[in-house]
Amino acid sequence: MSKVIDDLHYSAEHEWIKVLESGEVSVGITDHAQDSLSDIVYVELPEVDTVYQKGEAMAIVESVKAASDIFAPLAGKVTMVNEALEETPELLNESPYELGWLFHMEPEDLEAGKAEMMDAAAYREFVAASE
Amino acid sequence: MFQTDGPLRTPLHQTHLDAGGRIVDFAGWRMPIQYQGIVAEHKAVRSAAGIFDVSHMGQLRFQGPEAASFLGRMVVSAVDRLKPGEARYTHLCDERANLIDDLIVYRLAERDLLLVPNAAMVAEVREWFEKHLPAEGVTMADESLQWVCLAVQGPRAEGIISQVTGAPAGEFKPFSVHIFPELFGGLLVARTGYTGEWGVELMGPWEQGVAIWETLMAVGAEAGLVPCGLGARDTLRLEKGYLLSGQDFDHDRTSLETACGWLVDWDHDFVGKEALAAQKEAGFHRLTGIKVLDRGMIRPGNEVLHDGQVVGKLTSGGLSVTLKHGIGLAYLPLPIRKPETPLTITVRGKPLNATTVKLPFL
Repeated sequence: MSKVIDDLHYSAEHEWIKVLESGEVSVGITDHAQDSLSDIVYVELPEVDTVYQKGEAMAIVESVKAASDIFAPLAGKVTMVNEALEETPELLNESPYELGWLFHMEPEDLEAGKAEMMDAAAYREFVAASE
Repeated sequence: MFQTDGPLRTPLHQTHLDAGGRIVDFAGWRMPIQYQGIVAEHKAVRSAAGIFDVSHMGQLRFQGPEAASFLGRMVVSAVDRLKPGEARYTHLCDERANLIDDLIVYRLAERDLLLVPNAAMVAEVREWFEKHLPAEGVTMADESLQWVCLAVQGPRAEGIISQVTGAPAGEFKPFSVHIFPELFGGLLVARTGYTGEWGVELMGPWEQGVAIWETLMAVGAEAGLVPCGLGARDTLRLEKGYLLSGQDFDHDRTSLETACGWLVDWDHDFVGKEALAAQKEAGFHRLTGIKVLDRGMIRPGNEVLHDGQVVGKLTSGGLSVTLKHGIGLAYLPLPIRKPETPLTITVRGKPLNATTVKLPFL
């Protein structure tokens, strides 16, 4: 069973968001996602200041075998990207909820975005159904 | 003895599941793509040792006084000149000299040869031989579901194989095959592989599969022997520039084009010889190694450009785990395929700088 962290919000695409004190959100992929991808070797991050609608492809995570799109878990503007991933993409495998965050976004409507995502309990069930 | 429909399973299916293997469909089989992870398994083979279940590979057995001369006429290498105990990697081609499959021919005895084609190609290769078999002097048997095949590869494989066989494996010559009738109901140990490391491929009776695997794992534990899946098998072979059947060629490329001209024994007759000789005169695009200079991941199918013109497509491509940059293969014409020619590879519309290099990459 993969790790799921309380107090984060989860998408059906196996992304998580964490609400920061600034009102921005940090976005990453879940432990389940990194485990399915395994051996992440390259990450293509979005440009800062780009605005995305919910569900738009905004980053690419590549494992040895395959490429996977990262879809915007909610609408908003990119404010910061995790540049450490350019040199050390394996952080996504080793620390998906901490050092392996992908980018920060300024959400258009945080509450609406959160409402469309799962809480930890719902995501645990969601993952259990697929594992 | 086996299930009659759906994908086939090797005798080690449960062993793979118990070892944490992730199972995928491959060429009509349920096979492990990875256990702990492709990168870790790849590194284990380069630095210690890995064990692969390759029982999905086929085994076609040719016996009789004409077996060797028949096979010699069917492949680009003069395998009829092999001595008992010798093996050769070679190409099976059609009349247009296009590869049907690449395979290894093992001469077990004067009148007994074993041919190992790729899993996806067993039926087609068998049918091709059925069409060409002479009325007498040679029989063919498809023994693909009678042989378990395990590859043990890596710098520490030699000690493991010496211990298991009781023979000095370090003295086994490349492409030699050794028969141990007393082990596991009859074990073949061949100095062959698909990783470029010192290694062997062991073939034994299907029902002995688990026993052979468990013996190797027990003996190899101290040396760091780890189970490896098809994922690492692919990344390891690409670093050595070895061909992947159905991907680097698919009934559309010759031995010359696949950069395997060295396999061709021009002083013997074989199916496709005339077409191949004509191509040798006319010139051809040849499979060429490409090294990516920029950060980014290349994949099969990406376009290869030189001076702004598309000159080919990647047939294989990915990250070299050892070299830590992208490596790929593409069929390129002269003079572009000369080493150090600047290229760009288009990945999702963006150009990555690359250069041609000599094979193997590693």
